[in-house]
Amino acid sequence: MQQLLTTSLTGLTLGMVYAAFALALVLIWRSTRIVNFAQAPMAMITTYVALVVVNAGMSYWIGFAAALVSGLVLGAVIERVVIRQVEGKPEINAIILTLGLFVVIHAVAAIIFGSSFRSFPAPFGLRGFEAGGVTIALTGFAVFSICSVAVVMLLLVALFQHTDIGLKMRASAFNQEVSRMLGVRVTRMLTLGWALAAVVGSLSGLLIAGGSLVYPSYMDSVVVYGFVAAVLGGLDSPGGAVVGGLLLGVSLSFVSGYVGSELVAVAALAILIVVLLVRPAGLFSHATARRV
Amino acid sequence: MLDIRDLTTSFGPVKALDGVTFTAPKGKITAVLGANGAGKTTLLRTVSGLIRPDRGSVHLDGQDLARMPAERMPGLGLAHVPEGRGVITELTVQENLRLGGLGRADRSRPADFERVYSIFPVLADRRNAIADVLSGGERQILVIGRALMAEPKVLLLDEPSLGLAPRTVAQIFELVRGLAESDGLTVVLVEQNARSALSIADIGVVLNLGRLVAHDEATALAADEKLRHAYLGF
Repeated sequence: MQQLLTTSLTGLTLGMVYAAFALALVLIWRSTRIVNFAQAPMAMITTYVALVVVNAGMSYWIGFAAALVSGLVLGAVIERVVIRQVEGKPEINAIILTLGLFVVIHAVAAIIFGSSFRSFPAPFGLRGFEAGGVTIALTGFAVFSICSVAVVMLLLVALFQHTDIGLKMRASAFNQEVSRMLGVRVTRMLTLGWALAAVVGSLSGLLIAGGSLVYPSYMDSVVVYGFVAAVLGGLDSPGGAVVGGLLLGVSLSFVSGYVGSELVAVAALAILIVVLLVRPAGLFSHATARRV
Repeated sequence: MLDIRDLTTSFGPVKALDGVTFTAPKGKITAVLGANGAGKTTLLRTVSGLIRPDRGSVHLDGQDLARMPAERMPGLGLAHVPEGRGVITELTVQENLRLGGLGRADRSRPADFERVYSIFPVLADRRNAIADVLSGGERQILVIGRALMAEPKVLLLDEPSLGLAPRTVAQIFELVRGLAESDGLTVVLVEQNARSALSIADIGVVLNLGRLVAHDEATALAADEKLRHAYLGF
């Protein structure tokens, strides 16, 4: 019973972080129809920014904010300078470009920050709570992870469903030409979409790093899990990304706890294969033709 | 009024529009007619900034719109309802209308949903429906209403009758006629269905292979049998 609870809670926490990463991928896919292979190193380099700030003596929260802000700027700059060149062109161009960015950002991070393993702080502590003599395997940091991702998601929902700019962003993602004809500056909305997605990605980078080690490839394993979560939920569905992330996190936690931690990566890829065989569009996609 | 002069647009070596010149008067419906490939849609897309012309000008209230980007048009008073309607099917009726209203020039007053809902009661009934469930006629009404939300001075309509039953077409044309008369809206109506278009238009313009071949009052064009047989198919 204790192990069941522990495994579930660990899975939930990890799942929320994968959900954040998957959400970043889905946001970019929906707005620009590009799979952002560079999402992991983008998150990694913004976490390094936080590390530099924290090591300079400032509080974790200033580092946290610095990472999110640098994510916002990085996402906007990458879209405006790099991705803009391939929007509307054959998809292979965007794939090559984001893979190239993956390599370049890795190299830049190693040059600037070095490739040694560095520890990253975790607020709210890494010890579980005690309740009535039973230790609950939910650390303060895990609660923070779950809550911060939940808050970000609620903010995004509020933005997209209830603000004018959210409506413009959704319209730009659904039908660029008609949106332009209605006066929406679609290119600005795309930049904003990338900036927001990068912020969400940065959050997942910070949460993965917390209490753990940071080095240039530390986010790369998350890439696999994040992609699987996004595909599981359906690349077109932000809600699906969240559910996909949680499902994946819990499943992998159970594999790790009851089967063996060596098999986690295998399990993730096995889930991916099953999803692609049985329901390739993902659990929550609306795979219908669009008529106008 | 919309003053088009010497408008020329090419796609590579092909001249889709060749020196088109006419004026669409204020408060009147100008029908743009011609066979497939005559350049009617290219004309509207060039006027609304989706395509850049090689040369020529498009004057509205003294401003030349010819090389401005499409995003600026609603703010300048020009609304374009495209071929195929352009309903954003993932949004609700109300969201489509709200999006149209975001483009209006005068942001000092709130967007006037009630006016559009009173002109088109069918939209009021379906305001929270996802636009995907609307019928063809309802979609056409939605996109006209969406264009009106921007409080335009000029309305470009590209083949609104496409795929609609004759009675629905007649209703929509009557609505457009009413708007032209009551609001002083300048309407440019592109249609393949030349007979219906000429029945509600004041002026008719005929294009053939990018060139303007006739420009006359609608009644005169409808009465000209040789012209009708040559270019309009009836």
